Amino acid sequence: MRASLSGGGEEGARSSTALLDVADLRVTYGRSVAVGGVSLVVHEGEVVGLIGPNGAGKSSTLLAIMGAVRRSGGDVRLSGKRLSPSRPEEVARLGVALVPEGRHLFASMTVRENLELGRLARGDRSPRFDDREVGQLFPVTEEFRNQRAGLLSGGQQQQVAIARALLADPDLLLLDEPSLGLAPAAVTAVFSALEHIRQLGVAILLVEQRAEMTLEFCSRSYVMVGGRIRFEADRSTPIESVIVAYFGATSTAASEHER
Amino acid sequence: MTFVGYLVDAVSLGALYALIAVSVGLVFGVLRQINLAQGEVMAFGAYSLWIMRALPSWLAILLCFGICVAGSLVLQVLVFRPLRGASALTTLIVTFGVSYGLEALWLVVFGPEGKPVSMLIKLNDTVVGGAIALRWITIVDIGTAAVLLIGLYVLLFRSSLGLRMRAVAEDFSIARIVGVRIDRVVTVAFVLCGASAAVVAVLETVQTPLVTTTLGLSLIVVALVGVVLGGLDHLARATAGGFIVGFVNSLLGSILPEQQLVFVTSLTFLFVVVVLVVRPAGLLAPRGAGAERV
Amino acid sequence: MAGGARGVLPEPARARLRLAAEALGPLALIAIVALVGAQLSTADKTDAINVLVITAIVVGLYVFIGNSGVISFGQISFVAIGAFAAAIWTTPVGTRDATMPDLFGFLASPRLTNLESLLVAAGLGAVMSLVVGLALMRLSGLSAGIATFAVLEITYNVLANWEKIGPGPTVIANVPATTGIPQAAIGCAIAIAAAFGYQRTRSCRLLRASRADALAARGIGVSIFRHRLIAFVLSGAICGFAGALYVHELGSVSVTELYLALTFSTLSMLVVGGSQSLWGATMGGTLLGVLYSFLSNAVSGTTVFGLSFTLPNGLNTIIFAVLFVGALMLAPRGLTRNREFLAVALGERAPHPRGPVAIALAGGDGESPGDVETGSSGGEAASRSVKFTPGQPSP
Repeated sequence: MRASLSGGGEEGARSSTALLDVADLRVTYGRSVAVGGVSLVVHEGEVVGLIGPNGAGKSSTLLAIMGAVRRSGGDVRLSGKRLSPSRPEEVARLGVALVPEGRHLFASMTVRENLELGRLARGDRSPRFDDREVGQLFPVTEEFRNQRAGLLSGGQQQQVAIARALLADPDLLLLDEPSLGLAPAAVTAVFSALEHIRQLGVAILLVEQRAEMTLEFCSRSYVMVGGRIRFEADRSTPIESVIVAYFGATSTAASEHER
Repeated sequence: MTFVGYLVDAVSLGALYALIAVSVGLVFGVLRQINLAQGEVMAFGAYSLWIMRALPSWLAILLCFGICVAGSLVLQVLVFRPLRGASALTTLIVTFGVSYGLEALWLVVFGPEGKPVSMLIKLNDTVVGGAIALRWITIVDIGTAAVLLIGLYVLLFRSSLGLRMRAVAEDFSIARIVGVRIDRVVTVAFVLCGASAAVVAVLETVQTPLVTTTLGLSLIVVALVGVVLGGLDHLARATAGGFIVGFVNSLLGSILPEQQLVFVTSLTFLFVVVVLVVRPAGLLAPRGAGAERV
Repeated sequence: MAGGARGVLPEPARARLRLAAEALGPLALIAIVALVGAQLSTADKTDAINVLVITAIVVGLYVFIGNSGVISFGQISFVAIGAFAAAIWTTPVGTRDATMPDLFGFLASPRLTNLESLLVAAGLGAVMSLVVGLALMRLSGLSAGIATFAVLEITYNVLANWEKIGPGPTVIANVPATTGIPQAAIGCAIAIAAAFGYQRTRSCRLLRASRADALAARGIGVSIFRHRLIAFVLSGAICGFAGALYVHELGSVSVTELYLALTFSTLSMLVVGGSQSLWGATMGGTLLGVLYSFLSNAVSGTTVFGLSFTLPNGLNTIIFAVLFVGALMLAPRGLTRNREFLAVALGERAPHPRGPVAIALAGGDGESPGDVETGSSGGEAASRSVKFTPGQPSP
């Protein structure tokens, strides 16, 4: 069953309209395999989820797409163009923006300076939106303009981090657990901001542990367990089957580990 | 000479060491690498002034800048780039080896006798005679250091390039992810180091017009002490540390009798050990800042 | 050869053979140097003695640096202290009164025999390293590097200027030249035996484990501080002892000989040989010791195969600097790849946990697993990017 489902995903990968095309991506840390051959596609303007339990390799997948951790195999293409495996700054300049897990703002810099760094990757392209729109979308960035980023609350930092990524005017936004550690109200704020970003036509690859929310928000979602994609779901997929995949796969992962 | 005179001299030497310390701090900030070879770039610059002693001073100084910047960039490509990702300690050990080897190279090329450089010798004349005995070079030292440090501050905090440098210093990986081309930032850092080395080479040779093989290592070790005392991880503190060490050394040198003076080195290094054990993040750092310990 | 040993012998027998080779390989190398040295002319004999004494120092460095993975620029301090103690207490009292009139009473009067001076030097090295170690052994990485460098500077500064404990900047002469080939060879063998005996102990094994993974070692309750201190004191004792051998070789000593140049060249020998094995330390000490002696002679004029020449002064240091930097950057595991003598041939698989490849000297910093994979160039981001990848599977 697994084979047929992920096989379907690879069929999609061959289609020509793919914005992001990841084929057989592998990442290893020392002897442990974090990502064991992942293939996925994100089309232009599409919002795709990547869900799975803790330690499934989701974050590593995003970092490897960005070129921020070394790939041990596989190929990543953006609009058919191969992305550098070791130069994230060039990947960023080609139109991929990453909001890493834990936000990672430059804590000692002001919000304004953080946002200015976000604009770097844009180069000379004229953006698809006005910078003021970003300010309206994330009022925090206006309100605390000259505040040190490290002093903001978690939810505020997340907004600044997403705004910083958005200011790069990316074609593809990679988001790593934007809801992690946030209060429910802050989570709602983040997701409503993402809804606006979707409307701007920016494609999103969203890594989340909150399966239900992600399934609902994304047009398609990949379920990743034990370094592999086990399942491709959409809004009509019942949440129960995803949960079964989580647990079923946990035992599969355990048995693989013994091997 | 009065105490005020000693103080002014101490400020002048402190300023010189602050310039060396800021280069070490800059490379550490951007790359987490210790640049002990900076001292040999200064020595190279000083020797180049001797080689060009027949040229007009302004031209020799100009060329000295070019030579130091080129030397600094060559070291970055040959030594620092291959060591990216290695621990700071590895870079300390390797650049110590490089410095030691270069010092021996100066011995082979230039010989054991010091080389006299009589450039801008008039700067050693006194502006105000008598009790204070203020020399022109003292004013030039302090002025140059002040202008350069302010210039560096403006570059770091008021320019886009500086913003990128600070981003790399704060978080190398995230800086790359937002699109900072680190190779350019690193190149700029080493150009600044080269320029600062040239400044120190010129000022040092004017004050002590005899270039010897040990010039580089002796200056850089004292500056490194200052950087460690101030706090490696923080450019302003590292620079202040360099200034304080130069200042205190100069002042003690002026007021202590010869017999006690010889042990100032021991006291300085003992102080370094105590600071590393008790306040490993540096004397000027806020309490509780982390460092490597077991 | 490897296949042969693996096929013929059962593992317990091979393990015993490995152990025997671990001790006998370095000792045999010392015996060869001693035997060859004994055949040489008087002038060249000095070089052989020098090689043996320097090897003893390198073994001393290895005991601490190799086993703990923490750098020390300070071990030559203990060599200097041992050398000064042995020199002062063995020179005739009359010479002491004439050349060092300011000595403290306990240094001015008693006269020790050769053997006593060797033991006292070892003891003094141990005591001094205990004092230093108690203060410094909690430091790792960069802090340890700078602090031990400070120790070297302090020792040099005090010895060079305090005339109540020595000759200050001048030379101690008239030291009995008792270190011939036999004493140098036996002394070096004792250093090797001590290092070998030590690395059989539980304390040393725990220390080596902590070098590979400081965090894990702490997690299972290993007191890194205590085991480092033990290694540091043994290293200090060997260095002090070697200092006494050194001073009895030439019959005179000045503090400038026991400072940066010796620190740098012995560290180079350790790194080039392979800093994490006794065989590496011995190989580095003997091979580069020969080169060192040859180059030192060549600088003041030498004759090889009837060809007389003089190398420019400083070229010897340049060659060592190139070897040192080259080894650290290109082959950080050294000539022996950090293996003991014949270990691979006798079926050793991978006994040493792999330390950070680019950082042979600088293990034990508790680097994250990602650092291990960072070779030299190319993946420069990897080492730092790992810190924000909590998503890796925990096995």
